[in-house]
Amino acid sequence: MKYSSQRVAYWFFAVCMLLFSLQLVYGFLMGFAHIGYDGLHDLIPFNVARSTHTNLLVMWLLAGFMGAAYYIIPEEADREIISIKWAYVQLIAFVIVGVTAIVGFHFEWWEGRKFLEIPRPLDYLVVVDVLLFIGLIGGTIWKGHRYTTTSIVLFFGLLTAALLYLPGMINTDHQTHDSYWRWWVVHLWVEGVWELIMGAIMAYLLIKLTGVDREIIEKWLYIIVGFTFLSGILGTGHHYYYIGTPRYWLMIGGVFSALEPLAFLGMAIYALAMAKKGGKSSTNRTALLWTLGTAVMSFVGAGFLGFAHTLPQVNLYTHGTLVTAMHGHLAFWGAYACLVLAIITYSMPYLTGRKLADTSTNIFAFWTSNIGMVSMTIAFGVAGIAQVYLERKMGLDFLLVQKEIEVHFFGLILAASLFTIGIIAFVYNFIRFGAPVGEVRGAE
Amino acid sequence: MLSKSQAKAFFLIGTVGFSLIFVGLTVDTFQRIPEQTNQKNMTAEVVRGKHLFEQKNCMGCHTILGEGAYYAPELTKVFERRGEAFIKAMLKDPDSMYPGQRRMTNYNFSDEEISDLTAFLKWIGTLDLNGFPPKPDLVRSASPTATGDTSLEQVVLKTEDRPLVFNQMCVACHSLNGQGGTVGPALDNIGSQRDITYLTKWLKDPMAIKPGTTMPKLPLSEEDIAELSAFLSSLKGSR
Repeated sequence: MKYSSQRVAYWFFAVCMLLFSLQLVYGFLMGFAHIGYDGLHDLIPFNVARSTHTNLLVMWLLAGFMGAAYYIIPEEADREIISIKWAYVQLIAFVIVGVTAIVGFHFEWWEGRKFLEIPRPLDYLVVVDVLLFIGLIGGTIWKGHRYTTTSIVLFFGLLTAALLYLPGMINTDHQTHDSYWRWWVVHLWVEGVWELIMGAIMAYLLIKLTGVDREIIEKWLYIIVGFTFLSGILGTGHHYYYIGTPRYWLMIGGVFSALEPLAFLGMAIYALAMAKKGGKSSTNRTALLWTLGTAVMSFVGAGFLGFAHTLPQVNLYTHGTLVTAMHGHLAFWGAYACLVLAIITYSMPYLTGRKLADTSTNIFAFWTSNIGMVSMTIAFGVAGIAQVYLERKMGLDFLLVQKEIEVHFFGLILAASLFTIGIIAFVYNFIRFGAPVGEVRGAE
Repeated sequence: MLSKSQAKAFFLIGTVGFSLIFVGLTVDTFQRIPEQTNQKNMTAEVVRGKHLFEQKNCMGCHTILGEGAYYAPELTKVFERRGEAFIKAMLKDPDSMYPGQRRMTNYNFSDEEISDLTAFLKWIGTLDLNGFPPKPDLVRSASPTATGDTSLEQVVLKTEDRPLVFNQMCVACHSLNGQGGTVGPALDNIGSQRDITYLTKWLKDPMAIKPGTTMPKLPLSEEDIAELSAFLSSLKGSR
């Protein structure tokens, strides 16, 4: 690595590995509950497992984005992070707030609002922590010697992600208002500003891994994030079809969310094209593999499978069924989880000074987890489609349908086991890298 | 081909433009929500119910307005589907209602909390949701069943002859003509097996007749019981 303060990224990535592993445990709890093995019901009821599972995901992805920013920004801005001490304070505060939230869920200390379950007092601490983070990153860019498109897009993405956390804190007495603002956070994050973060991290990885000229990669970065917002902002409308909002959202949401896959398609084509164009024989081929995996799987999961049920005529039947879980799993995996694993794979050799990125363990982790996740998606998809036809089209009772589709949850657990083997391999490889004692090369 | 500065302009103009449109639509939407959601009927009870719904994280298992988790039934139209008595009984003692099935946590709600939640669910059912949840549309176009004499359409229509309380409560666990739950036995032939006196006693207190039965004592009025036992005793296997 170039600057010693980049080292803080390692600890964010270590937090990622820990929270991700825990997320899988809660996933299994829910999978087993679906096939009737709910032995832990009195201790960890489904709603606790569910909130923990999704919030752990959000937390470890945010930890990954933060780690990525601490690694990338010093190199892009050409200077150390303005205060390394405060960066560690920010890390520790983040972990404390996160762990408190997760433990609190088990004692019903939460807000029962899908994805935003963190209770209000902790919300304020999240805001303070993220402001500190934004300050450190922004200050580093500001005081740095240069402003690159990659760092500006990354900073803009992180800043707007922080700002968009606020609508989720609006108090409402009305279920429709509640839902309306909730999607400002959730949708505008994952189908909006998180894609800026994703685009910037991918641009950085492609610049480093393919050796293609920065100007070309960054020009495409603008076009792709431009498409993201062009479609994604009004695409929020696909959450406003059936919650008590006006009918015009059916048209607006339908048209604009149908355009959303274009940004992901653009990203996939661009990543593959740059990888092909790059003449440089990469020293870290597995990081490139994870990067291209992100590009392709985000298109399949977020773009294609999202499109599959986004039109109002289809969504009328699939809304609130397991079809959503199918899309959700592959979308988050492809667009964000793979991306964080890519930047980890890229940066670890520099952070630790060990050349363990291109090991067979990591390559095994890539293929096993991807095949596992695609199989999980298929299991969710079959269960979801069966549910749509039996419950929504034929009017069978909910529990009766759940019995009918139990077998697909058995398949889901098998697929999830394969996925878990892949992730265990990745975590094992992470541990083998050892402590962040990599050599600091200093500014050139 | 675009230059980098043109690409940047495309990004900035597009983002700002669409953000402004989105904010404008949001303002308009908030003006229209009161009418579309019967906001005038949103009583203090309903609001308390909404907050309680949130406090217990009901959408961690259920969906409402199609949003939530997929472990427990959709609740948008539950008031219409199951009726007030069933909902209240379920909230009071969830363990007894679907014996041996997927479990709901018993939150030990007070009677006031239960009526708040019920009021919330009743109000939610009156929202204009642009057609959600859809009516099952495959049943009506299905071909006649194997017996040849009954089309599924007639079966569906026939449910209108049943007591309302049967369609709301009993079918949650029992089936008739293949429709309904599978928790308890099918009721197609119950009239040949049990007479009206037995059924009346049974509905009043199942445990008194068969200790250890998993059939819960339901909150039924005298009229409900009279109506149900008459209906049940008429079910003699004929369709």
